[in-house]
Amino acid sequence: MSSSSDSSSREGESRSKWLDAHYDPVAGLNTLSSCIALADLHGDGDFKMVVGDMGHGPYNMKLKVYKGTARMSENALLDLPTGVAAFLMDQNEPRTPAIAVASGPFIYVYKNLRPYFKFTLPAMEVNALEKEVWDQAKEDKIDPVTLKEMLESIRDKAEIPLSVRSLRFLMLELQEMEAFVNTYKQQPLKRQTVITCMGTLKKNMADEDAVCCLVIGTESGELFILDPEAFTILTRVSLSSVPTLLDVTGQYDIEYRITVACRNGNVYILRRDSKRPKYCIELSAQVVGLVRVQKNIMIGTSHETLHGYSQKGKRLWTVTLPASIMTMSLLEQKSRGIQAVLVGLKNMEVHLYRDKNLLSVINTPDIVTGLCFGRYGREDDTLIMTTQGGGLLIKILKRTAQFEDKDTAPGPPTGQSIKLNVPKKTKLYVDQTLRERENAVAMHRVFQMDLYRLRLSAARAYVKALDASLAPVSSTMQEPLTLNAAVQGIGPQFKLILNLQNTSVNRPSMQLLISFLYDEKLYKIKPAFFKVPLLVPGLNYPIETFVECCSDKGISDIIKVFVLREGKSTPLLTAHINMPVSEGLAAA
Amino acid sequence: MGLFDKLAGWLGLKKKEVHVLCLGLDNSGKTTIINKLKPANAQTQDIVPTIGFSIEKFKTSSLSFTVFDMSGQGRYRNLWEHYYKEGQAIIFVIDSSDKLRMVVAKEELETLLNHADIKHRRMPVLFFANKMDLRDSLSSVKVSQLLSLEHIKDKPWHICASDGLTGEGLQEGVDWLQDQITQSNPNNEDLRR
Ligand SMILES: Nc1nc2c(ncn2[C@@H]2O[C@H](COP(=O)(O)OP(=O)(O)OP(=O)(O)O)[C@@H](O)[C@H]2O)c(=O)[nH]1
Ligand SMILES: [Mg+2]
Repeated sequence: MSSSSDSSSREGESRSKWLDAHYDPVAGLNTLSSCIALADLHGDGDFKMVVGDMGHGPYNMKLKVYKGTARMSENALLDLPTGVAAFLMDQNEPRTPAIAVASGPFIYVYKNLRPYFKFTLPAMEVNALEKEVWDQAKEDKIDPVTLKEMLESIRDKAEIPLSVRSLRFLMLELQEMEAFVNTYKQQPLKRQTVITCMGTLKKNMADEDAVCCLVIGTESGELFILDPEAFTILTRVSLSSVPTLLDVTGQYDIEYRITVACRNGNVYILRRDSKRPKYCIELSAQVVGLVRVQKNIMIGTSHETLHGYSQKGKRLWTVTLPASIMTMSLLEQKSRGIQAVLVGLKNMEVHLYRDKNLLSVINTPDIVTGLCFGRYGREDDTLIMTTQGGGLLIKILKRTAQFEDKDTAPGPPTGQSIKLNVPKKTKLYVDQTLRERENAVAMHRVFQMDLYRLRLSAARAYVKALDASLAPVSSTMQEPLTLNAAVQGIGPQFKLILNLQNTSVNRPSMQLLISFLYDEKLYKIKPAFFKVPLLVPGLNYPIETFVECCSDKGISDIIKVFVLREGKSTPLLTAHINMPVSEGLAAA
Repeated sequence: MGLFDKLAGWLGLKKKEVHVLCLGLDNSGKTTIINKLKPANAQTQDIVPTIGFSIEKFKTSSLSFTVFDMSGQGRYRNLWEHYYKEGQAIIFVIDSSDKLRMVVAKEELETLLNHADIKHRRMPVLFFANKMDLRDSLSSVKVSQLLSLEHIKDKPWHICASDGLTGEGLQEGVDWLQDQITQSNPNNEDLRR
């Protein structure tokens, strides 16, 4: 069980499934899964990759487009990108998708890689007190130091938080304040929030190339659904925390479901008809990844765990991972209808899970921070990975790759978790169980008493049988005998054959008699009395006699056979013969 | 041979029939190349992605080629192997501008060469490093490196850069193929090792 052989077998496993198409360790891409999108931007069947690059520090933020292994173009971004999505805005030909980049309070929409439209989040209500203070500053009624004190007191107790301008002002050193106030005091005070996450929602068709609405989550704890053409707000929902990850499914006009992970560690599930979250999943840790696989939701948390939840928020399973989760993404192999979840881990591995089964492990040369699977170039099943060090890694799933659904993770076998089809408990069953639980002692006593009685009567019957030698096997040690009887014929004449055997080892039996007891009105036996010859041990002695039935009423009775010792009245053994009904006479 | 071939041609004697498999990834230019090899009056103008496969014929000075132009799309690639037995030569087309999928072409080539119906036969393999006209295309040397063609030991092979649109490079390849077939296969029989 050396770990090296383990990892080399894993290497083989991953090599049998993935082709290494490209690796550029210095691609200079600093991005996350939410900022990578694949789309046929030019409608030529050659899918491009669009990446929102966060650059380094506050500079160099860019929107980069890749074709194959090379960068095709880049556009500068003014603020950090928080989401990139490719979506069809309208029905116009050619049906090439637009790119939406969420950044600060804006969504920049690009068409044909050219800026096309900018959407701005609606401004939020400004704190009235704050506004008044700034108005006074504008008229030079208060000096910066007073302004600072007043803003601080507002910040500490106000319900509506301060605007960005005030917050920045409060961070300044004394000597910078004057200039800051002079620069900004003339401008109207605004309070604006920023976009934290973005997704797309099909408008009214389920097709692959349906027109999509944008769904955005904001720092103010709200969700917006935007019209794809007019960019008006179609729906606005308030949440109790800041959304960080989104998953959207369904169609806006028909029925949809938005699953949103929030900064308070909860995941909310919203439906079309409800203004408030329909279900809530409370997790004890931060959610770091959210992926829907078919109908279930896979949630990765900061506690190195991956949970599977039903769409109603019921936990189905939990897997513990070997390292912290960096990012998660969906793997969908459309040609085979396979869906699974990719999990980028801090130990430089990418795990592929279908439900809780680990299907594949990919070792990467660096920590993967961005994952995206889909059609890229002309290849349907391409996996794009960006790394912490800015590298770009592209792998292609082999045409012949097979994912075995067996659980490669150590642990209890899958059979253990298969639910048995146990029928529901009936009311009768429940009542009965309750009664048994309450009266257990009394019931046990009654049972014990009945058991003792049964044993007693069984013992009595046994003793009686022994005393009367009523059994066909003699019990006395001196005369070990067995007797069995057979009746032949259909009547009214029957032949009765008695097989008598001495079962002792070497002692012969002598002076034995056989007699019968029967209803003389019913049967005639002749002869009805025998002297038994000497019985040699081990041999079988058939003794025959004839029984005639004298009744024509079709009735039968028992004939008792006794084996006796000369001069003793208690029989050695007794046999009861159940006579058959005389059919010959009944027929005659 | 040249004289006999020419004589045969003049006398209208029947040319030797050769079955060739044209393989390669989708969009590599297989159909475009085969189309270009056909006589000018039989060429089509619009070329669409092949569905399944199509059978095309063209003639060279001494041979009559029947080409199985297979579709290169992933979902049709498992059809290829059903025609391996019938093929006497292989034309493998590579889009030399598609660097991303060079590994996929390599993988498919390996699977092909290791197939039971191909592995032990000494059939010639002609590679076209196609789309050489594109700015970002790789040279034929680079393509043969990426596909590790030097590992092919038991089959005669040849690679040429080509442009399926203008026809550049195609003649060189077809001439090589014709030579291989007429030399190694004088009785028009399939030599098995
Ligand atoms: N620039 C350039 N384009 C080419 C060349 N050869 C083919 N093409 C183009 O590549 C595209 C695909 O060509 P096809 O011949 O359909 O490719 P294929 O290999 O038959 O594809 P499938 O039938 O799908 O397997 C077409 O748009 C051709 O015009 C070439 O040498 N240079
Ligand atoms: Mg074709």
